[in-house]
Amino acid sequence: MSLNQVWEAASASPYTPFVAKDSQFAFGFTLLLLALLLTGIFGLNRSFLSIASIGIPASLAFGFGTVYMICAVGVYV
Amino acid sequence: MRPFATVVTALCGLVLSSSAIVSADASSTSSKTLLPADFKPPQVFKNVNLVRNTNLEKGYARETVNVVVENVDKQPQSDYYLSFPSDTFDRVGGLEVRNKKEAEKGRFDVEAVEVDLARDVQYFVVHLPEPLAPSSQVTLGISYSLLNSLHPRPATIEQSDRQYLTYSFSAYVPSAYQTVTQKAKLKFPGTNVPDYTTTDLKSGQDPERQGSTYTYGPYNTADVAPGTSYPITVRYEFTKPVVTASLLERDLEVSHWGGNLATEERYWLHNNGSKLSNHFSRVDWTVANYQQSPSSAIRELRYPLKPGSVDPYFIDDIGNVSTSRYRPGLATREANLDFKPRFPIFGGWNYSFRIGWNNELSSFLRRAVSGADSYVLKVPFLEGPKMAEGVQYEKVVVRVILPEGARNVRYQTVEGPLSNGLPGASQIQSSLSTHKTFMDTLGRTTLTLTVESLTDEARDSQLVITYDHSLWDALRKPVAFTAGLLSVFAATWAIANIDVSIKKR
Repeated sequence: MSLNQVWEAASASPYTPFVAKDSQFAFGFTLLLLALLLTGIFGLNRSFLSIASIGIPASLAFGFGTVYMICAVGVYV
Repeated sequence: MRPFATVVTALCGLVLSSSAIVSADASSTSSKTLLPADFKPPQVFKNVNLVRNTNLEKGYARETVNVVVENVDKQPQSDYYLSFPSDTFDRVGGLEVRNKKEAEKGRFDVEAVEVDLARDVQYFVVHLPEPLAPSSQVTLGISYSLLNSLHPRPATIEQSDRQYLTYSFSAYVPSAYQTVTQKAKLKFPGTNVPDYTTTDLKSGQDPERQGSTYTYGPYNTADVAPGTSYPITVRYEFTKPVVTASLLERDLEVSHWGGNLATEERYWLHNNGSKLSNHFSRVDWTVANYQQSPSSAIRELRYPLKPGSVDPYFIDDIGNVSTSRYRPGLATREANLDFKPRFPIFGGWNYSFRIGWNNELSSFLRRAVSGADSYVLKVPFLEGPKMAEGVQYEKVVVRVILPEGARNVRYQTVEGPLSNGLPGASQIQSSLSTHKTFMDTLGRTTLTLTVESLTDEARDSQLVITYDHSLWDALRKPVAFTAGLLSVFAATWAIANIDVSIKKR
Protein backbone atom coordinates (compact mmCIF):
# COMPACT_ATOMS: atom_id res chain seq x y z
CA MET A 1 0.00 0.00 0.00
CA SER A 2 1.58 3.26 -1.08
CA LEU A 3 1.62 6.13 1.38
CA ASN A 4 -0.63 8.12 -0.95
CA GLN A 5 -3.26 5.40 -0.53
CA VAL A 6 -2.84 5.73 3.26
CA TRP A 7 -3.55 9.44 2.79
CA GLU A 8 -6.60 8.79 0.63
CA ALA A 9 -7.93 6.20 3.09
CA ALA A 10 -7.70 8.75 5.93
CA SER A 11 -9.79 11.38 4.10
CA ALA A 12 -12.56 11.17 6.70
CA SER A 13 -10.32 12.08 9.62
CA PRO A 14 -8.46 15.38 9.10
CA TYR A 15 -6.44 16.48 12.07
CA THR A 16 -8.16 19.03 14.28
CA PRO A 17 -6.26 20.58 17.18
CA PHE A 18 -7.81 20.61 20.66
CA VAL A 19 -8.01 24.41 20.61
CA ALA A 20 -8.61 26.20 17.29
CA LYS A 21 -6.15 28.87 16.18
CA ASP A 22 -8.58 31.72 16.85
CA SER A 23 -9.14 30.68 20.47
CA GLN A 24 -5.51 30.07 21.41
CA PHE A 25 -4.90 33.51 22.88
CA ALA A 26 -8.07 33.51 25.02
CA PHE A 27 -7.40 29.98 26.21
CA GLY A 28 -3.72 30.58 26.97
CA PHE A 29 -4.36 33.93 28.63
CA THR A 30 -7.10 32.51 30.87
CA LEU A 31 -4.92 29.62 31.95
CA LEU A 32 -1.92 31.86 32.65
CA LEU A 33 -4.14 34.25 34.65
CA LEU A 34 -5.47 31.31 36.63
CA ALA A 35 -1.91 30.13 37.24
CA LEU A 36 -0.96 33.60 38.47
CA LEU A 37 -3.93 33.79 40.82
CA LEU A 38 -3.32 30.32 42.22
CA THR A 39 0.38 31.11 42.67
CA GLY A 40 -0.63 34.21 44.63
CA ILE A 41 -2.91 32.13 46.85
CA PHE A 42 -0.11 29.59 47.35
CA GLY A 43 2.14 32.46 48.42
CA LEU A 44 -0.24 33.25 51.29
CA ASN A 45 -0.05 29.74 52.71
CA ARG A 46 3.08 27.83 51.75
CA SER A 47 2.21 24.49 53.30
CA PHE A 48 2.74 21.01 51.89
CA LEU A 49 -1.02 20.63 51.55
CA SER A 50 -1.09 23.81 49.45
CA ILE A 51 1.34 22.28 46.98
CA ALA A 52 -1.10 19.43 46.39
CA SER A 53 -4.30 21.48 46.43
CA ILE A 54 -3.15 24.72 44.75
CA GLY A 55 0.37 24.12 43.40
CA ILE A 56 -0.56 21.23 41.11
CA PRO A 57 -3.56 22.99 39.47
CA ALA A 58 -1.47 26.16 39.14
CA SER A 59 1.39 24.22 37.52
CA LEU A 60 -0.98 22.48 35.09
CA ALA A 61 -2.59 25.79 34.16
CA PHE A 62 0.87 27.29 33.63
CA GLY A 63 2.09 24.29 31.58
CA PHE A 64 -0.83 24.31 29.14
CA GLY A 65 -1.21 28.09 29.28
CA THR A 66 2.38 28.69 28.12
CA VAL A 67 2.00 26.22 25.25
CA TYR A 68 -1.14 27.95 23.96
CA MET A 69 0.19 31.45 24.59
CA ILE A 70 3.40 30.83 22.61
CA CYS A 71 1.26 29.40 19.78
CA ALA A 72 -1.04 32.43 19.96
CA VAL A 73 1.88 34.83 19.45
CA GLY A 74 2.99 32.98 16.32
CA VAL A 75 5.62 30.55 17.56
CA TYR A 76 3.90 27.31 16.70
CA VAL A 77 5.51 24.69 18.97
CA MET B 1 13.69 19.05 40.72
CA ARG B 2 13.75 15.31 41.10
CA PRO B 3 10.37 14.51 39.51
CA PHE B 4 11.19 16.78 36.57
CA ALA B 5 14.57 15.14 36.04
CA THR B 6 12.99 11.68 36.23
CA VAL B 7 10.35 12.61 33.68
CA VAL B 8 12.95 14.05 31.30
CA THR B 9 15.20 11.00 31.67
CA ALA B 10 12.25 8.70 30.97
CA LEU B 11 11.30 10.72 27.89
CA CYS B 12 14.90 10.70 26.68
CA GLY B 13 14.98 6.93 26.86
CA LEU B 14 11.66 6.64 25.08
CA VAL B 15 12.70 8.79 22.15
CA LEU B 16 16.31 7.76 21.80
CA SER B 17 15.45 4.09 21.78
CA SER B 18 12.87 4.60 19.08
CA SER B 19 14.89 7.00 16.94
CA ALA B 20 17.18 4.13 15.92
CA ILE B 21 14.21 2.38 14.32
CA VAL B 22 13.23 5.61 12.60
CA SER B 23 16.59 6.08 10.97
CA ALA B 24 16.66 2.43 9.92
CA ASP B 25 13.30 2.81 8.24
CA ALA B 26 13.65 6.17 6.60
CA SER B 27 17.29 6.53 5.72
CA SER B 28 18.28 5.97 2.17
CA THR B 29 21.20 7.50 0.42
CA SER B 30 21.52 8.20 -3.25
CA SER B 31 22.65 5.00 -4.87
CA LYS B 32 25.44 4.70 -7.40
CA THR B 33 26.54 1.49 -9.03
CA LEU B 34 30.30 1.11 -9.20
CA LEU B 35 31.72 -0.20 -12.47
CA PRO B 36 35.27 -0.72 -13.76
CA ALA B 37 36.98 2.20 -15.52
CA ASP B 38 37.06 0.50 -18.93
CA PHE B 39 33.35 -0.37 -18.78
CA LYS B 40 31.33 -0.30 -21.98
CA PRO B 41 27.62 -1.12 -22.05
CA PRO B 42 27.03 -4.51 -23.70
CA GLN B 43 25.62 -4.00 -27.21
CA VAL B 44 22.38 -5.88 -26.56
CA PHE B 45 19.95 -3.17 -27.65
CA LYS B 46 19.34 -1.19 -30.82
CA ASN B 47 17.52 2.15 -31.01
CA VAL B 48 15.18 1.63 -33.94
CA ASN B 49 13.84 5.16 -33.96
CA LEU B 50 14.70 8.10 -31.75
CA VAL B 51 13.06 11.52 -31.50
CA ARG B 52 14.57 14.13 -29.21
CA ASN B 53 12.50 17.20 -28.30
CA THR B 54 14.44 20.04 -26.71
CA ASN B 55 12.47 22.85 -25.15
CA LEU B 56 14.43 26.10 -24.78
CA GLU B 57 11.52 28.30 -23.71
CA LYS B 58 12.77 28.50 -20.14
CA GLY B 59 16.11 29.34 -18.54
CA TYR B 60 17.24 25.71 -18.83
CA ALA B 61 16.96 23.04 -21.50
CA ARG B 62 14.25 20.45 -21.02
CA GLU B 63 14.64 17.35 -23.18
CA THR B 64 12.16 14.60 -23.91
CA VAL B 65 13.52 11.63 -25.81
CA ASN B 66 11.15 9.05 -27.22
CA VAL B 67 13.01 5.97 -28.41
CA VAL B 68 11.91 2.60 -29.75
CA VAL B 69 14.35 0.08 -28.29
CA GLU B 70 14.80 -3.44 -29.64
CA ASN B 71 16.62 -6.30 -27.95
CA VAL B 72 19.17 -7.64 -30.49
CA ASP B 73 20.64 -10.21 -28.08
CA LYS B 74 19.69 -13.86 -27.79
CA GLN B 75 18.84 -13.49 -24.09
CA PRO B 76 16.15 -11.33 -22.44
CA GLN B 77 17.70 -8.05 -21.31
CA SER B 78 16.62 -5.59 -18.60
CA ASP B 79 19.41 -3.01 -18.18
CA TYR B 80 19.35 -0.14 -20.66
CA TYR B 81 22.24 2.35 -20.38
CA LEU B 82 21.68 6.07 -20.94
CA SER B 83 24.87 7.90 -21.76
CA PHE B 84 25.63 11.57 -21.15
CA PRO B 85 28.80 13.56 -21.80
CA SER B 86 30.79 13.93 -18.54
CA ASP B 87 30.39 17.70 -18.46
CA THR B 88 26.58 17.49 -18.49
CA PHE B 89 26.16 14.32 -16.39
CA ASP B 90 26.07 16.18 -13.05
CA ARG B 91 23.64 18.75 -14.42
CA VAL B 92 20.96 16.27 -15.46
CA GLY B 93 17.90 17.04 -13.34
CA GLY B 94 14.60 15.24 -12.76
CA LEU B 95 15.52 12.26 -14.94
CA GLU B 96 12.53 10.03 -15.55
CA VAL B 97 12.07 7.00 -17.81
CA ARG B 98 8.70 5.43 -18.54
CA ASN B 99 7.21 3.03 -20.98
CA LYS B 100 5.70 5.52 -23.41
CA LYS B 101 2.76 3.25 -24.19
CA GLU B 102 2.00 2.45 -20.53
CA ALA B 103 2.88 5.75 -18.87
CA GLU B 104 0.30 5.21 -16.12
CA LYS B 105 2.28 2.23 -14.82
CA GLY B 106 4.86 4.60 -13.40
CA ARG B 107 8.52 5.30 -13.81
CA PHE B 108 11.33 2.78 -14.13
CA ASP B 109 14.16 2.53 -11.61
CA VAL B 110 17.15 4.58 -12.74
CA GLU B 111 20.57 4.51 -11.10
CA ALA B 112 23.66 6.61 -11.70
CA VAL B 113 26.64 4.49 -12.68
CA GLU B 114 29.96 5.49 -11.18
CA VAL B 115 32.93 4.96 -13.44
CA ASP B 116 36.26 6.67 -13.89
CA LEU B 117 35.68 10.42 -13.64
CA ALA B 118 38.21 11.13 -16.39
CA ARG B 119 36.01 9.44 -18.99
CA ASP B 120 34.21 11.41 -21.67
CA VAL B 121 30.92 9.62 -21.17
CA GLN B 122 29.03 8.68 -18.00
CA TYR B 123 25.99 6.46 -17.66
CA PHE B 124 22.64 6.08 -15.97
CA VAL B 125 21.26 2.55 -16.02
CA VAL B 126 17.53 2.02 -16.51
CA HIS B 127 16.18 -1.19 -14.97
CA LEU B 128 13.25 -2.38 -17.04
CA PRO B 129 10.63 -3.94 -14.73
CA GLU B 130 10.29 -6.93 -17.06
CA PRO B 131 13.22 -8.18 -19.15
CA LEU B 132 12.77 -7.45 -22.85
CA ALA B 133 12.55 -10.67 -24.86
CA PRO B 134 14.89 -11.13 -27.87
CA SER B 135 13.73 -9.25 -31.01
CA SER B 136 10.92 -7.51 -29.13
CA GLN B 137 10.59 -3.76 -28.78
CA VAL B 138 9.65 -1.22 -26.13
CA THR B 139 9.12 2.54 -26.48
CA LEU B 140 10.87 4.50 -23.78
CA GLY B 141 9.88 8.06 -22.87
CA ILE B 142 12.96 9.68 -21.29
CA SER B 143 12.63 13.18 -19.86
CA TYR B 144 15.15 15.33 -18.03
CA SER B 145 16.36 18.90 -17.64
CA LEU B 146 19.88 20.14 -18.29
CA LEU B 147 20.78 22.83 -15.78
CA ASN B 148 23.24 25.61 -16.60
CA SER B 149 23.28 24.43 -20.21
CA LEU B 150 22.45 27.83 -21.72
CA HIS B 151 25.23 30.39 -22.04
CA PRO B 152 24.77 34.10 -22.81
CA ARG B 153 26.46 35.35 -26.02
CA PRO B 154 27.58 38.08 -25.94
CA ALA B 155 28.59 37.52 -22.35
CA THR B 156 28.25 41.24 -21.55
CA ILE B 157 25.53 43.59 -22.79
CA GLU B 158 24.23 47.08 -22.16
CA GLN B 159 21.49 47.43 -19.57
CA SER B 160 18.64 47.82 -22.09
CA ASP B 161 20.07 45.48 -24.78
CA ARG B 162 18.45 42.27 -25.87
CA GLN B 163 19.96 39.12 -24.44
CA TYR B 164 20.94 36.06 -26.51
CA LEU B 165 21.65 32.56 -25.26
CA THR B 166 23.50 29.71 -26.93
CA TYR B 167 22.81 26.03 -26.61
CA SER B 168 25.23 23.38 -27.87
CA PHE B 169 24.41 19.76 -28.44
CA SER B 170 25.22 16.91 -30.79
CA ALA B 171 23.10 16.18 -33.86
CA TYR B 172 23.64 12.51 -33.09
CA VAL B 173 22.21 11.67 -29.70
CA PRO B 174 25.03 10.42 -27.43
CA SER B 175 23.52 6.95 -27.11
CA ALA B 176 25.37 3.86 -25.92
CA TYR B 177 23.69 1.82 -28.65
CA GLN B 178 23.42 1.80 -32.41
CA THR B 179 20.62 4.12 -33.56
CA VAL B 180 18.93 3.48 -36.92
CA THR B 181 17.04 6.75 -37.42
CA GLN B 182 16.94 9.84 -35.28
CA LYS B 183 15.94 13.47 -35.32
CA ALA B 184 16.11 16.41 -32.94
CA LYS B 185 13.41 19.07 -32.59
CA LEU B 186 14.18 22.35 -30.89
CA LYS B 187 11.50 24.69 -29.58
CA PHE B 188 12.73 28.26 -29.14
CA PRO B 189 10.99 30.95 -27.06
CA GLY B 190 10.53 33.06 -30.19
CA THR B 191 11.38 33.33 -33.87
CA ASN B 192 14.49 35.48 -33.39
CA VAL B 193 17.26 32.89 -33.91
CA PRO B 194 20.18 34.81 -35.48
CA ASP B 195 22.69 31.92 -35.55
CA TYR B 196 22.34 28.19 -35.93
CA THR B 197 24.52 25.43 -37.37
CA THR B 198 23.45 24.05 -40.74
CA THR B 199 24.48 20.52 -41.67
CA ASP B 200 24.81 18.38 -44.78
CA LEU B 201 23.97 15.20 -42.92
CA LYS B 202 20.85 14.71 -45.02
CA SER B 203 19.62 15.74 -48.43
CA GLY B 204 17.71 19.00 -48.44
CA GLN B 205 17.67 21.74 -45.89
CA ASP B 206 18.90 20.91 -42.40
CA PRO B 207 17.52 22.17 -40.06
CA GLU B 208 13.95 22.54 -41.26
CA ARG B 209 12.34 25.62 -39.78
CA GLN B 210 8.70 26.03 -38.87
CA GLY B 211 7.96 29.11 -36.77
CA SER B 212 9.93 28.80 -33.56
CA THR B 213 10.53 25.05 -34.06
CA TYR B 214 13.70 23.83 -35.79
CA THR B 215 14.10 20.18 -36.75
CA TYR B 216 17.49 18.55 -37.31
CA GLY B 217 17.15 15.30 -39.22
CA PRO B 218 15.78 12.72 -39.59
CA TYR B 219 19.16 11.09 -40.10
CA ASN B 220 19.84 7.52 -41.09
CA THR B 221 22.56 6.64 -38.61
CA ALA B 222 22.62 2.84 -38.88
CA ASP B 223 26.28 3.01 -39.98
CA VAL B 224 27.34 5.66 -37.46
CA ALA B 225 29.21 4.28 -34.45
CA PRO B 226 27.47 4.81 -31.08
CA GLY B 227 28.88 7.85 -29.30
CA THR B 228 29.76 9.74 -32.49
CA SER B 229 29.31 13.45 -32.00
CA TYR B 230 28.35 16.18 -34.49
CA PRO B 231 28.38 19.50 -32.66
CA ILE B 232 25.55 21.94 -33.25
CA THR B 233 25.18 25.36 -31.67
CA VAL B 234 22.16 27.60 -31.78
CA ARG B 235 21.91 31.19 -30.60
CA TYR B 236 18.53 32.74 -29.89
CA GLU B 237 16.99 35.74 -28.21
CA PHE B 238 16.04 35.32 -24.57
CA THR B 239 15.58 38.77 -23.04
CA LYS B 240 14.47 37.34 -19.74
CA PRO B 241 16.46 36.51 -16.63
CA VAL B 242 18.06 33.08 -16.30
CA VAL B 243 16.85 32.53 -12.75
CA THR B 244 19.07 30.12 -10.83
CA ALA B 245 18.88 29.19 -7.17
CA SER B 246 22.27 27.86 -6.18
CA LEU B 247 20.64 26.65 -2.96
CA LEU B 248 17.08 26.48 -1.71
CA GLU B 249 16.46 25.48 1.88
CA ARG B 250 12.83 24.74 2.55
CA ASP B 251 11.52 24.08 6.07
CA LEU B 252 8.07 22.68 6.78
CA GLU B 253 7.29 22.75 10.50
CA VAL B 254 4.35 20.74 11.80
CA SER B 255 2.75 21.88 15.06
CA HIS B 256 0.07 19.65 16.56
CA TRP B 257 -0.56 22.02 19.47
CA GLY B 258 -0.94 25.07 17.25
CA GLY B 259 -2.74 23.23 14.42
CA ASN B 260 -0.30 24.93 12.06
CA LEU B 261 2.00 24.13 9.18
CA ALA B 262 4.71 26.79 8.98
CA THR B 263 6.73 27.03 5.77
CA GLU B 264 9.94 28.97 5.39
CA GLU B 265 12.13 29.07 2.30
CA ARG B 266 15.62 30.49 2.07
CA TYR B 267 16.87 31.26 -1.43
CA TRP B 268 20.34 32.01 -2.72
CA LEU B 269 19.39 33.43 -6.10
CA HIS B 270 21.64 34.17 -9.05
CA ASN B 271 21.01 35.42 -12.57
CA ASN B 272 23.01 33.41 -15.11
CA GLY B 273 22.28 35.86 -17.94
CA SER B 274 24.62 38.34 -19.68
CA LYS B 275 26.56 40.61 -17.35
CA LEU B 276 26.37 44.39 -17.63
CA SER B 277 29.13 45.90 -19.77
CA ASN B 278 28.72 49.28 -18.06
CA HIS B 279 27.72 50.51 -14.62
CA PHE B 280 24.10 50.12 -13.58
CA SER B 281 22.04 53.17 -14.52
CA ARG B 282 19.13 53.98 -12.24
CA VAL B 283 17.66 56.36 -14.86
CA ASP B 284 17.66 53.73 -17.64
CA TRP B 285 16.14 51.25 -15.23
CA THR B 286 13.32 53.62 -14.27
CA VAL B 287 12.59 54.33 -17.94
CA ALA B 288 12.61 50.58 -18.78
CA ASN B 289 10.25 49.93 -15.88
CA TYR B 290 7.93 52.71 -16.96
CA GLN B 291 7.79 51.31 -20.50
CA GLN B 292 7.55 47.74 -19.20
CA SER B 293 10.17 46.74 -21.80
CA PRO B 294 11.63 43.23 -21.54
CA SER B 295 14.77 43.00 -19.46
CA SER B 296 17.41 40.43 -18.64
CA ALA B 297 17.10 41.39 -14.95
CA ILE B 298 14.88 39.78 -12.34
CA ARG B 299 12.31 42.46 -11.69
CA GLU B 300 9.67 40.66 -9.70
CA LEU B 301 8.93 37.13 -8.55
CA ARG B 302 5.41 35.75 -8.51
CA TYR B 303 4.71 33.10 -5.95
CA PRO B 304 1.33 31.34 -5.88
CA LEU B 305 0.59 29.94 -2.43
CA LYS B 306 -1.88 27.29 -1.33
CA PRO B 307 -5.43 28.43 -0.51
CA GLY B 308 -5.69 29.57 3.10
CA SER B 309 -2.05 30.72 3.41
CA VAL B 310 -1.68 33.51 5.99
CA ASP B 311 1.01 35.64 7.70
CA PRO B 312 3.44 35.88 4.75
CA TYR B 313 6.80 37.56 5.22
CA PHE B 314 9.68 38.47 2.93
CA ILE B 315 13.00 39.40 4.51
CA ASP B 316 16.62 39.52 3.40
CA ASP B 317 19.97 40.10 5.10
CA ILE B 318 19.06 43.73 5.88
CA GLY B 319 15.55 43.10 7.22
CA ASN B 320 11.97 43.27 6.05
CA VAL B 321 11.57 44.08 2.35
CA SER B 322 8.47 46.23 1.92
CA THR B 323 8.16 45.84 -1.87
CA SER B 324 5.85 42.86 -1.73
CA ARG B 325 2.17 42.46 -2.29
CA TYR B 326 0.07 39.67 -0.91
CA ARG B 327 -3.30 38.77 -2.31
CA PRO B 328 -4.88 36.22 0.01
CA GLY B 329 -6.92 33.56 -1.73
CA LEU B 330 -10.31 32.35 -0.69
CA ALA B 331 -10.80 28.89 0.81
CA THR B 332 -10.52 27.22 -2.58
CA ARG B 333 -8.57 29.77 -4.64
CA GLU B 334 -4.82 30.00 -4.37
CA ALA B 335 -3.20 33.06 -2.82
CA ASN B 336 -0.51 35.13 -4.53
CA LEU B 337 2.65 36.64 -3.14
CA ASP B 338 4.27 39.04 -5.61
CA PHE B 339 7.57 40.37 -4.37
CA LYS B 340 10.26 42.59 -5.79
CA PRO B 341 13.83 42.07 -4.65
CA ARG B 342 15.54 45.04 -3.03
CA PHE B 343 17.34 45.70 -6.34
CA PRO B 344 16.96 44.37 -9.91
CA ILE B 345 19.11 41.27 -10.33
CA PHE B 346 21.14 41.53 -13.54
CA GLY B 347 23.35 38.83 -15.02
CA GLY B 348 26.03 37.69 -12.57
CA TRP B 349 24.29 39.36 -9.62
CA ASN B 350 23.21 37.53 -6.49
CA TYR B 351 20.34 38.01 -4.05
CA SER B 352 19.54 35.93 -0.99
CA PHE B 353 16.30 36.21 0.91
CA ARG B 354 13.76 34.26 2.91
CA ILE B 355 10.01 34.03 2.65
CA GLY B 356 7.55 32.22 4.87
CA TRP B 357 3.87 31.75 5.63
CA ASN B 358 1.45 29.67 7.72
CA ASN B 359 -1.33 27.24 6.84
CA GLU B 360 -4.02 25.40 8.78
CA LEU B 361 -2.65 21.96 9.55
CA SER B 362 -6.01 20.25 8.94
CA SER B 363 -5.54 20.57 5.14
CA PHE B 364 -2.23 18.70 5.29
CA LEU B 365 -2.47 16.23 8.18
CA ARG B 366 -4.83 13.32 8.74
CA ARG B 367 -5.09 10.59 11.33
CA ALA B 368 -4.19 7.34 9.61
CA VAL B 369 -6.82 4.62 9.70
CA SER B 370 -4.24 2.03 10.74
CA GLY B 371 -3.67 3.29 14.29
CA ALA B 372 -4.86 5.90 16.77
CA ASP B 373 -1.37 7.38 17.10
CA SER B 374 -0.49 7.27 13.39
CA TYR B 375 -0.57 10.37 11.27
CA VAL B 376 -0.20 10.95 7.56
CA LEU B 377 1.10 14.27 6.23
CA LYS B 378 0.88 15.39 2.61
CA VAL B 379 2.82 18.52 1.72
CA PRO B 380 4.24 20.04 -1.47
CA PHE B 381 7.82 18.89 -2.01
CA LEU B 382 8.69 22.07 -3.87
CA GLU B 383 6.72 25.27 -4.43
CA GLY B 384 8.82 28.23 -5.53
CA PRO B 385 8.08 31.14 -7.85
CA LYS B 386 6.00 30.49 -10.95
CA MET B 387 7.74 32.31 -13.76
CA ALA B 388 7.39 32.10 -17.55
CA GLU B 389 11.18 31.99 -17.80
CA GLY B 390 11.44 29.12 -15.32
CA VAL B 391 13.63 28.62 -12.28
CA GLN B 392 16.46 26.13 -11.96
CA TYR B 393 17.61 24.88 -8.55
CA GLU B 394 21.14 23.55 -8.25
CA LYS B 395 20.46 22.11 -4.80
CA VAL B 396 17.25 21.80 -2.80
CA VAL B 397 17.21 20.81 0.87
CA VAL B 398 13.71 20.10 2.20
CA ARG B 399 13.44 19.74 5.98
CA VAL B 400 10.18 18.43 7.38
CA ILE B 401 10.21 19.22 11.10
CA LEU B 402 7.77 16.84 12.76
CA PRO B 403 6.54 17.16 16.36
CA GLU B 404 8.84 16.16 19.18
CA GLY B 405 8.76 12.42 19.72
CA ALA B 406 7.50 11.47 16.24
CA ARG B 407 8.82 8.06 15.21
CA ASN B 408 8.48 5.37 12.54
CA VAL B 409 8.89 8.06 9.92
CA ARG B 410 8.34 6.91 6.35
CA TYR B 411 8.12 9.05 3.26
CA GLN B 412 7.27 8.76 -0.40
CA THR B 413 6.93 11.19 -3.29
CA VAL B 414 3.62 10.98 -5.11
CA GLU B 415 3.82 9.58 -8.63
CA GLY B 416 1.17 10.16 -11.25
CA PRO B 417 0.68 9.26 -14.89
CA LEU B 418 2.73 12.34 -15.84
CA SER B 419 6.20 13.38 -14.77
CA ASN B 420 6.31 15.11 -11.38
CA GLY B 421 9.67 16.73 -12.18
CA LEU B 422 11.48 14.90 -9.42
CA PRO B 423 14.19 12.30 -9.93
CA GLY B 424 13.66 8.71 -8.78
CA ALA B 425 13.76 7.77 -5.10
CA SER B 426 17.37 6.58 -5.45
CA GLN B 427 18.48 10.11 -6.39
CA ILE B 428 16.90 11.71 -3.28
CA GLN B 429 19.16 11.62 -0.24
CA SER B 430 17.41 11.44 3.11
CA SER B 431 18.43 11.61 6.72
CA LEU B 432 16.74 11.81 10.11
CA SER B 433 17.92 14.09 12.86
CA THR B 434 16.57 16.17 15.72
CA HIS B 435 16.04 19.92 15.59
CA LYS B 436 15.91 21.86 18.85
CA THR B 437 13.93 25.05 19.03
CA PHE B 438 11.41 26.79 21.30
CA MET B 439 10.01 24.74 24.23
CA ASP B 440 11.79 21.56 23.17
CA THR B 441 13.23 19.17 25.68
CA LEU B 442 14.68 16.56 23.32
CA GLY B 443 14.35 18.14 19.90
CA ARG B 444 11.90 17.56 17.07
CA THR B 445 12.23 14.69 14.67
CA THR B 446 13.42 16.13 11.37
CA LEU B 447 13.40 14.45 7.99
CA THR B 448 15.87 16.07 5.60
CA LEU B 449 15.61 15.37 1.89
CA THR B 450 18.31 16.63 -0.46
CA VAL B 451 18.00 16.74 -4.23
CA GLU B 452 20.50 18.19 -6.65
CA SER B 453 19.59 19.65 -10.04
CA LEU B 454 15.89 20.41 -9.93
CA THR B 455 13.76 22.75 -11.96
CA ASP B 456 10.38 24.36 -11.49
CA GLU B 457 8.92 21.36 -13.35
CA ALA B 458 8.75 19.86 -9.84
CA ARG B 459 6.45 22.64 -8.58
CA ASP B 460 3.41 20.45 -8.19
CA SER B 461 5.20 17.44 -6.71
CA GLN B 462 3.84 16.12 -3.43
CA LEU B 463 5.47 14.40 -0.50
CA VAL B 464 3.61 12.01 1.81
CA ILE B 465 5.01 11.23 5.24
CA THR B 466 3.61 8.89 7.87
CA TYR B 467 4.69 8.90 11.50
CA ASP B 468 3.57 7.78 14.94
CA HIS B 469 3.02 10.31 17.69
CA SER B 470 1.36 9.30 20.95
CA LEU B 471 -0.55 11.40 23.48
CA TRP B 472 2.38 11.09 25.85
CA ASP B 473 4.69 12.55 23.18
CA ALA B 474 2.26 15.43 22.71
CA LEU B 475 2.10 16.11 26.47
CA ARG B 476 5.89 16.42 26.75
CA LYS B 477 5.89 20.24 26.43
CA PRO B 478 3.13 21.10 28.96
CA VAL B 479 4.40 18.42 31.33
CA ALA B 480 7.90 19.90 31.25
CA PHE B 481 6.55 23.34 32.12
CA THR B 482 4.17 21.93 34.73
CA ALA B 483 7.08 20.09 36.35
CA GLY B 484 9.14 23.27 36.26
CA LEU B 485 6.59 25.40 38.11
CA LEU B 486 5.79 22.57 40.51
CA SER B 487 9.44 22.34 41.43
CA VAL B 488 9.42 26.09 42.14
CA PHE B 489 6.48 25.57 44.49
CA ALA B 490 8.25 22.68 46.19
CA ALA B 491 11.43 24.71 46.53
CA THR B 492 9.46 27.66 47.99
CA TRP B 493 7.82 25.38 50.53
CA ALA B 494 11.15 23.73 51.44
CA ILE B 495 12.99 27.03 51.79
CA ALA B 496 10.11 28.52 53.83
CA ASN B 497 10.41 25.61 56.24
CA ILE B 498 14.10 26.25 56.98
CA ASP B 499 14.30 27.88 60.37
CA VAL B 500 16.83 30.69 60.16
CA SER B 501 15.68 32.59 63.26
CA ILE B 502 18.30 33.70 65.82
CA LYS B 503 17.31 32.02 69.00
CA LYS B 504 18.59 29.57 71.52
CA ARG B 505 18.06 25.99 70.37
